[in-house]
Amino acid sequence: MLDVSHAFGDRVALDHVSFGVVPGVMTGLLGPNGAGKTTLIRILLGVLQPQQGAVQLRAMPVTDAARRTWGYMPQERGLYPAMKVGEQTVFFARLHGLSRRVAEQKSRQLLDELDLADRWDDRTDKLSGGLQQRLQLATSLVHDPEVIVLDEPFAGLDPVAVADLSESLRQRTAAGSTVLFSSHQLDLVQDLCEDIAMIEHGRLVLLGKVSTLRASSGRRQLRLHLDRPDRAWLQAFPEVHVVSDQADELRLGIAPGTDPLDVLDAARAASRVTDFGLDLPTLSQLFLDAAHARPDRELVS
Amino acid sequence: MRAWWSGTRLVWERGLVENVRSKTFKIVMVLLLLASAAAVILPQLLAGGVTTYTLATVGRAPASLVAALDAAQVKGDFTVEYLARGGVEEVRAAVQAGDATVGLADEILYVAAGDAGTFPVVVAQAVVRLEVADRLTRAGLTPRQVADLQSVQPPKQVTVAPVADEKRAAVGFAVGISLYMALLFGGSAIATAVAQEKASRISEVLLVVLRPSQILAGTVLAVGTVTLAEILVLATPVLVAIGVRDDLGLPAVAAGDIALGLAWFVIGFGLYAFLYAACGALVNKVTEVSSAVMPIVMIMLAAYMVSITVTTHDPTSPWSLVIAVFPLTSPIGMPFLWASGEASPLLLLFSMMLAILSAAGVISLASTVYRRGLLITGRRVGVREVIARHRD
Repeated sequence: MLDVSHAFGDRVALDHVSFGVVPGVMTGLLGPNGAGKTTLIRILLGVLQPQQGAVQLRAMPVTDAARRTWGYMPQERGLYPAMKVGEQTVFFARLHGLSRRVAEQKSRQLLDELDLADRWDDRTDKLSGGLQQRLQLATSLVHDPEVIVLDEPFAGLDPVAVADLSESLRQRTAAGSTVLFSSHQLDLVQDLCEDIAMIEHGRLVLLGKVSTLRASSGRRQLRLHLDRPDRAWLQAFPEVHVVSDQADELRLGIAPGTDPLDVLDAARAASRVTDFGLDLPTLSQLFLDAAHARPDRELVS
Repeated sequence: MRAWWSGTRLVWERGLVENVRSKTFKIVMVLLLLASAAAVILPQLLAGGVTTYTLATVGRAPASLVAALDAAQVKGDFTVEYLARGGVEEVRAAVQAGDATVGLADEILYVAAGDAGTFPVVVAQAVVRLEVADRLTRAGLTPRQVADLQSVQPPKQVTVAPVADEKRAAVGFAVGISLYMALLFGGSAIATAVAQEKASRISEVLLVVLRPSQILAGTVLAVGTVTLAEILVLATPVLVAIGVRDDLGLPAVAAGDIALGLAWFVIGFGLYAFLYAACGALVNKVTEVSSAVMPIVMIMLAAYMVSITVTTHDPTSPWSLVIAVFPLTSPIGMPFLWASGEASPLLLLFSMMLAILSAAGVISLASTVYRRGLLITGRRVGVREVIARHRD
């Protein structure tokens, strides 16, 4: 997306947003409710026309014909409840231009891969929530799309279904597909995605590789398990702040320029250290920081 | 264009299959078939079969009169029974008491008041016929010459769309009601289908692959095909029965009225269906559909009410003309006015052309509302808001 802006009347939904999604790299789209994710996805898919900026594919403006080959899975289940499972996937495959014969063949292969082959003749509304989510994924992947866009694909799924869906997406990404999905489940995004883009109030506030963002945040945390409650030794490190102090675990935020080993030595001098570790900030912490940051404190990398 | 039609056809096919598979469709089809069969059978049952008339005479009826009436009853749909009485007063009393339809005595024809039908005329003609034959024979003509003279037949009588024909008015009434119901239920089905697709976000998936016009046209075609099939199931048996039998109690012009009703259905559906679809795109939940389509329902209801209360009783009323010509009401009002015999073919054509042209404008407006309405979720949207929403 290149410098995309869009407003609904006086309300700015997207404000000069630019970011890229690399083929073969799973990318997560983050943002609190009302941040502009849905508008962004709609513009990406061509359902909305941006008032400014453009969507490009391989450095060329993306055409409607190209978009029709993409796969899209909406947040709520975009399925016909009364349709049979097999007919549903065949219908969506044919919508994407496949012949009836090829559509049936691809549908059977994919439903088999997603453990839905034996539900071919079942009505969609007879499936459980998890199975419907799998079927929804099947309808968006049945035509082997080069670009896959998923809006909150893991919402409402049990851990087994999350694991299955994650594995399917990993396989597609490894095969070279361009995958972008939005999610509120940040731990999942942290595990699945190499790249993330976060928007807040229509502006891009965080962008880059998850590992780089975590390492470069300057927000390392020292985790200590001490057998004494005395914290007086911390007064020697005014730049270090307590993130949490619960039970026997003390979590300290280490400011840039402070050597965590010095802090560890001071702790050892004051108490017996039974366990310790140096953690990078979680994506959730980066998310919260970015979400609460003012525009002049953006974290775009 | 080919690509446009390819996607539209898929939406059409899917909608058609889903509709045809539904229990509602099957139940409605059976009910319509029963209604159609009833429309063919009931008039015959209510007609009560062959009418029997009774002729009272002084003594036994003359053989020549009996022969003449026998010949007449072969051509007509009645039978004659004979009642012998002792004198003129007894004959008159038999008619007065209702024992006889007609009494013939002393060159006087006594006729029962009210329900004698055409029988007195038939008896009178037979008497005159016999008397004329007698006089001609006495004048020297041979029996063959007499028979030849009496073989002269009156001109064949053909009914040509009588203005105040009650049976035809009843057909027009039935066509009008069927049309009103079909447009009402078909339109509601479209609005519900659009609202369901919007609520479940299927429309969002479809919009990635298809243009809004493809989804809209496919949905309207699917419901329209189903509704047209239902109307054909209702109308075809009646049309066929009118074509192959002339004793159904339905006027011959009914076939034309029913065929015209089908044409008005296509025009009316084109006009209303897209408005219903636009209303369906404005709601956030399926349960809001009935209130969203209320303005269209009110217009159709007004057309229907004026048609059954004004047009059927006073087709020359200015209101009847307005309802039959105004594009948003003509698909319902004109079939009523046409069946009354008060609409000229030119007026019919004018009304149809106006409705078709209006349908084209309505489709354009409804498509814009539909496309914009589908993308506003989480709340119900007003038409003004959607039309004013230029920057989406």
